[in-house]
Amino acid sequence: MTRYIIRRSLQAIPVLFIVSIIVFTLIQIAPNNPLAAYQNNPNITPEDLLRLEQEYGFNDPIHIKYIKWLSQIVRGNWGDSFVTHRPVMTEIAERLPNTLYLSGIAFLLALVIAIPIGMISAVRQYSWFDHVATTIAFMGQSIPIFWFGLLLIIVFSVNLQNPFAGTSLFPHPPPLPLFPGGGMMTLGEYPPDPLVDRIWHLVLPVTMLAVFQLAQHVRYMRAGMLDVLHQDYIRTAHAKGLRERAVILKHAFKNAALPLVTIIALELPGLFNGALFTETIFSWPGMGRLFFNSAERGDYTVLMAILMISATLIIFFNLVADITYAFLDPRIRYD
Amino acid sequence: MNARKLMGLALLALVIVLVACAAPEPTKAPAAKPTEAPAGPKRGGTLTMVVWQEPEHLNPELSTMTVVAHVSLLALEGLTGVNEKGERYPLLATEVPTTANGGVSADGKTITYKLRKTKWHDGLDFTCEDLVFTWKLIMTPNTGALDTGSFKDIETIECPNPNTAVIKFKNFRADWIRLFSGIGLPLPRNAGKPEEFKTWAWNRKPTGTGPYKVVEFVTGDHITFERNPNYWMEGKPYIDKIIVRIVPSSEVAKQLMKNGEADIMWNVTEADLPEIQKMSNVKLFDAPQAGGERLILNLVKPGDPADNKTPHPILGDVRVRQAIAYGIDRKTIIDKLLNGKALPGTSELNVDPYNCTEIKPWPYDPAKAKQLLDEAGWKPGPDGIRVKDGQRLRLKYQTTTGNKLREDSQVLIVENMKAIGIEFYIENQPASLLIGSWAANSPRKKGNFDILMYTTNASIDPHSQMFNYFHSSSIPSPDNQGGVNYSRWNDPETDKLIEKAGSLPDWNQRKPLYCQAAARITEGASHIYLYQRYNLQLFNTRVQGWIANSWGGPTWNIWDQWLK
Repeated sequence: MTRYIIRRSLQAIPVLFIVSIIVFTLIQIAPNNPLAAYQNNPNITPEDLLRLEQEYGFNDPIHIKYIKWLSQIVRGNWGDSFVTHRPVMTEIAERLPNTLYLSGIAFLLALVIAIPIGMISAVRQYSWFDHVATTIAFMGQSIPIFWFGLLLIIVFSVNLQNPFAGTSLFPHPPPLPLFPGGGMMTLGEYPPDPLVDRIWHLVLPVTMLAVFQLAQHVRYMRAGMLDVLHQDYIRTAHAKGLRERAVILKHAFKNAALPLVTIIALELPGLFNGALFTETIFSWPGMGRLFFNSAERGDYTVLMAILMISATLIIFFNLVADITYAFLDPRIRYD
Repeated sequence: MNARKLMGLALLALVIVLVACAAPEPTKAPAAKPTEAPAGPKRGGTLTMVVWQEPEHLNPELSTMTVVAHVSLLALEGLTGVNEKGERYPLLATEVPTTANGGVSADGKTITYKLRKTKWHDGLDFTCEDLVFTWKLIMTPNTGALDTGSFKDIETIECPNPNTAVIKFKNFRADWIRLFSGIGLPLPRNAGKPEEFKTWAWNRKPTGTGPYKVVEFVTGDHITFERNPNYWMEGKPYIDKIIVRIVPSSEVAKQLMKNGEADIMWNVTEADLPEIQKMSNVKLFDAPQAGGERLILNLVKPGDPADNKTPHPILGDVRVRQAIAYGIDRKTIIDKLLNGKALPGTSELNVDPYNCTEIKPWPYDPAKAKQLLDEAGWKPGPDGIRVKDGQRLRLKYQTTTGNKLREDSQVLIVENMKAIGIEFYIENQPASLLIGSWAANSPRKKGNFDILMYTTNASIDPHSQMFNYFHSSSIPSPDNQGGVNYSRWNDPETDKLIEKAGSLPDWNQRKPLYCQAAARITEGASHIYLYQRYNLQLFNTRVQGWIANSWGGPTWNIWDQWLK
């Protein structure tokens, strides 16, 4: 096993190298750089524009740019953003907690709710609970996520009023929306208690994110469980006279959860990337927006850092998924 | 049964949620009698301004974004400012230098500023040394500063005493007043080392002399400003605290205006107007923008970037260009695409203090257009498109991709042209390609185009705009890759007028000269002006004292604004 892990880790190095070349080339051939916005600004003289292009090295050939970038990366220097002129890692460090906070809560919530629903749904196949659960899961996966987010805003922060406005819970005098339509905290003159404020601001974006993941997980859990329930060893367990609870939790669940483990391990790197739609709709200053803004402005040091970190995470969690698999399923051996 | 219990619980939870949602009827606020508004401005309160572009920092000298320029002016100040009439008023200077008050020397090369006795937010005195520091910083190589070109004409800045600055220019600069005011705002001399300008901590928390101090900058979320109690204007500003809220889209910003969470929305577009008209709690700030959307016609034959003499086979004839100008129905574009909120384009100079009101927009006159084309020898062909000597009257029509307003207006203009027998075919490109640099082979630079469409906004002093866009020496060529006279307008009379205007220190003499040049350009239809948009900002009705200004953001006169 140890040898397997070492081998896989070493394999990751050339993969990351190739990824970096492809990504760098793609970014560079996109006709955009952070100075593009200056082209039509009457206050910037043409000479100044040429000078800035030289200063930033935008006119270097692409392979020179790549070598410059790579030589810094191997020394652990991710460079500065071309737009904010701050270190790329500072930019990411400022956004990452916000993203982990939002996506992490949604992820855990989705998981905790999805597993029992999926299980009950499978055990009571074709019951009304199963019908309701599968229908909702199907809808959750089918509706466009941004549309769902907008719907949440219209209903919960435009149409519905907060009944506690003006009380000690929410000191803001009415009218106050039931849930805020965006932001991470109350900025005005009447902030609620910080903890209340946090939760209050999290409700809608977490709901939006969790519904989609929830739907997906329910379907996997249900399918996995159904698969297992028809296996001989389950029938054997029943025949031995084990109680229903023991059969399902001990014998069925561990096997049924296998596909879910893979899905979860592959979803984890996504937490780092952030949820662009959710962050955009709910004004959440996270990684998704950082990535989008950087792409828009051609800020390639930031883009490269985000893409390389997420490539590394994807490789890492793939490995984790494989190892967990071997641990959960003794039939799988890597030696 | 476990499952049944769980279902019951879920059902119960659902009911609770539904009840909770249904309970709070949107209670109408008791119809309180509108109290008499107090006569004068009132102190206090918190103002929330929502912006839908993300300011990367607050240093306008390092940023291209309008939002940075507008927001940073809460904390920073220039020597002078520009009011709604286009007039200069003193800020960090105690008076605007003129030839009359002795501030401007007879040859215009020496400018004397009397500086205000005030302090930076950290308590340091503001003095002439700060101007010297700023000038030297901008001239330091590799700082990333934007305005080197403008400041390199300064020979020395002398400080006879801390509150007098004598700026000596190497040669006369028509737009000297913009330095340290519109561009290169004074920086405090203790802010950091010039070589490290880009990475100063100051950039995110600038100490200025302005009416507000930056308290907190939370990236991508909000910036908080606090009243500067030592501001030099007696008793001002009125508002205690300003929160600039950063949201990702103008849709979100409008929502916040609608439910009253925000008091000011920065930058509204014409497309937002129908929705805004339905809001009862807002008022619109509107002032015409300088410059505007235009067609830029290539007067030189495309193909060889070094050849700027051979006329364009079609557009080289002024009658064809004028026919295009007559053939465009500007009113329909404005009514249909801009909700009626724009002015028809007139000339290069269309806002005070340099507003050439005597130049009128081209009337929509297809008959006149057809007549001009007939005279030029272009006769209608079998499909209605005109031909001359076997050549079709067919022109490439390009603008930037991804801009719906532009793409829609192209459709209307193509139809307009078809009606008079000209075929425009569209070949749009991303902005960075179409209007990129010489090295990037941009068609605009290399003259490989027939007609381009985009917006250029003039700066307050017209000289650089007029000289760069219309002087024959600014035509781009392999020897002049930075040139921006893209239509290749080459007219000795225009050159003379612009040069003359740029050599005169007296503003009153300059304006008629620029206007004569602008009239020649409009008449020659090298640029065909389409429409002039408005600078639109949205205010909650509780904000008082604001004035719409072509040259400023919503808070340009924040010291006079107050909350009801």
